[in-house]
Amino acid sequence: MLRLKRIIPMLLALLMLTLALYPGHGQAQAQGDSGTNDKKTIIVGLSADFAPYEFMLTVDGKSKIVGSDVMIAEQIAADMGAELKLENMPFDSLLPALQSGRIDMVISGMTPTDERRQNVDFSDLYYISKQVILTRAEDADKFPTMAELEGLPIGVQTGSIQEEIANSIPDAQVTAVKSISDVVSLLLSDRVDAAVFEGPVAEAQVKNRAGLAIAEAVPEDSDTPMAIAVEKGNAQLLTDINSTLKRLNDENAVEGYIQAANELNSGENAPSNIFSFFWKYRGYYADGVQYTLLLSALGVLFGFLIGLLVSLLRLSGVKILKWIAVAYIEVLRGTPMLVQLLIIHFGLASAFDIKFTVLQSGIITLSLNSSAYLAEIFRAGIQGVDKGQMEAARSLGMPRGLAMRTIIIPQAIKSVLPAIGNEFVVIIKESSIVSFIGVADLMFQANAVRTLTYSGLYPLVIAAFIYLIMTLILSKLLNVLERRLSAGDIR
Amino acid sequence: MISAKNLQKSFGKNQVLKGIDAEIQKGEVVVVIGPSGSGKSTFLRCLNRLEEVTGGEILFEGKPITDKKHNIDKTREKMGMVFQQFNLFPHKTVLDNITLAPTKLLGLSKAEADKRAEALLQSVGLEDKKNAYPAQLSGGQKQRIAIVRALAMQPHVMLFDEPTSALDPEMVGEVLDVMKKLAEDGMTMVIVTHEMGFAREVGDRILFMDGGVIVEEGTPEEVFGAPKNVRTQDFLSKVL
Repeated sequence: MLRLKRIIPMLLALLMLTLALYPGHGQAQAQGDSGTNDKKTIIVGLSADFAPYEFMLTVDGKSKIVGSDVMIAEQIAADMGAELKLENMPFDSLLPALQSGRIDMVISGMTPTDERRQNVDFSDLYYISKQVILTRAEDADKFPTMAELEGLPIGVQTGSIQEEIANSIPDAQVTAVKSISDVVSLLLSDRVDAAVFEGPVAEAQVKNRAGLAIAEAVPEDSDTPMAIAVEKGNAQLLTDINSTLKRLNDENAVEGYIQAANELNSGENAPSNIFSFFWKYRGYYADGVQYTLLLSALGVLFGFLIGLLVSLLRLSGVKILKWIAVAYIEVLRGTPMLVQLLIIHFGLASAFDIKFTVLQSGIITLSLNSSAYLAEIFRAGIQGVDKGQMEAARSLGMPRGLAMRTIIIPQAIKSVLPAIGNEFVVIIKESSIVSFIGVADLMFQANAVRTLTYSGLYPLVIAAFIYLIMTLILSKLLNVLERRLSAGDIR
Repeated sequence: MISAKNLQKSFGKNQVLKGIDAEIQKGEVVVVIGPSGSGKSTFLRCLNRLEEVTGGEILFEGKPITDKKHNIDKTREKMGMVFQQFNLFPHKTVLDNITLAPTKLLGLSKAEADKRAEALLQSVGLEDKKNAYPAQLSGGQKQRIAIVRALAMQPHVMLFDEPTSALDPEMVGEVLDVMKKLAEDGMTMVIVTHEMGFAREVGDRILFMDGGVIVEEGTPEEVFGAPKNVRTQDFLSKVL
């Protein structure tokens, strides 16, 4: 039997434990700013799929972010006497993270465009790269000049400088995707005929992945400067950064970093057999599964409780409460979860200075979203319980709340258990959306392995298989629970 | 003990009770009879406010329980009710059905409540069913458990809403026997029923309702033996 009274304190304890175990980046940063620690921490955001500037590498079975930008970051941190912390996230999440104060700076091969300058401040340039056109090896000769690209499908990374270049090609059909490995997949699967790439990045891809070549065509104005982004108005930090950059420029160090990084990026020797592949990268998946399970479990539990509360408000008979509940349900069911996630993570931070860690934002979004669906499921269950049950309970003198808790809700939950189970399975799968803001969940790690190995298929198939195992186990557990709850039905 | 004054109840435009005056004395067994749709169940359900009256007043042990500020939950503890459809809690065992309200509302310990429940179960001959679930019981057994569940609160009055109407004929007797014993023990009872023989045998007073009013009332001898009102005569001629 479900005993809410016992479960609620347990859940609260669990939540506190979670928050204690994962103090999150927001707090770590606050410590650094206030200077209470002897050593300051600077948090550098980057999108680690941009070899040789920043990419993942497996060192002693553990994944590590390396690259020339990382070496620059290390220099800056050393000059400032601060501890360096790297935050890996999708490229188009970097500036929102910076603006919402989650990271101190972005060193991610970022070009200081006028558009970006409106939102953040940039350091002096630290490197100027050339843009190139990446294409399939067999098409290498097809594009001697940019004119041949007109009207063709072209792939780029969302929010990147390459996207702007692609958009300036007349009639080009530009497809923008989240990561560099996605762009390469587009190219190799013939969905686009060419892709605009940073020179060294393209070289790294050609080196590590068969079937790619760099075309002769060179984008106009292809000189792409790179600079470090900081939050608007943070002049002190900018001065510190610029002094380090000046030193590096004087030493002509950046070119050397890029060469060194390119050598590091010799390409992982990924096994060709999917089982050995999985075994080699099991550490990534294990890390990801932990987060996915944590997110789903807490999302389900809080979603369950909030959903129950909302369904009770909806059925309370008090008009204003009912309206609030209906509005809550409709808004959360009627808007994409990704939008909700971004509003909670970035929107609240920039508008109200409410900074949740990525994990907190993920849990909150999953809880709220599932609570709306569960509220409707509970409502159906509660309304499905025979009216005589409430009357019998009330006739014994039970107040409405007690009758609800002990008589109606247990029966309601029992009758909608299959629907609840369905929703739980949905949450496990939908939790993959949090990889968007940089929670290192299963999906995120699968992408990391993809970038690492230049392999388009295995990392995703393995992730899919692990999701499947988790949902199957959950279904099985719910079957057991259903059987136990049906004790009263034995005839 | 209960006094209803000019009770009125409407569902939307449909007025079901059109001004009912009734007094129920302590220890009295009052049986309400009448054709379907006459409002007798509604009248009974108004007595513990499962239906809210739309006019008139009910006094229970001197207190106006129809007053909006009155705590009806406390009053219901003293008014047991038995339903046509039993309404046992299907997810709880027989024992839990019976002990839930006494432990939660009267502050009895589980042991005390169990003892009380077992004694009551024994009095209706169902002590061996205490760990069964309602789905494992026959209709007659369920209704006897439902009576025990109400009695476990030690109510001052018991309200029966057609307690045998949903039963197979062979099970009617066992439930009526329990009710008869209860009446003999001096319980105040208000019973809505179609069992005329039972009404005649156990009732101290009969209320005949039709069209939302009490048409005739009196002792069983008066109402069944020499009905004065033509509607009573018509009804009794059809059911007897």
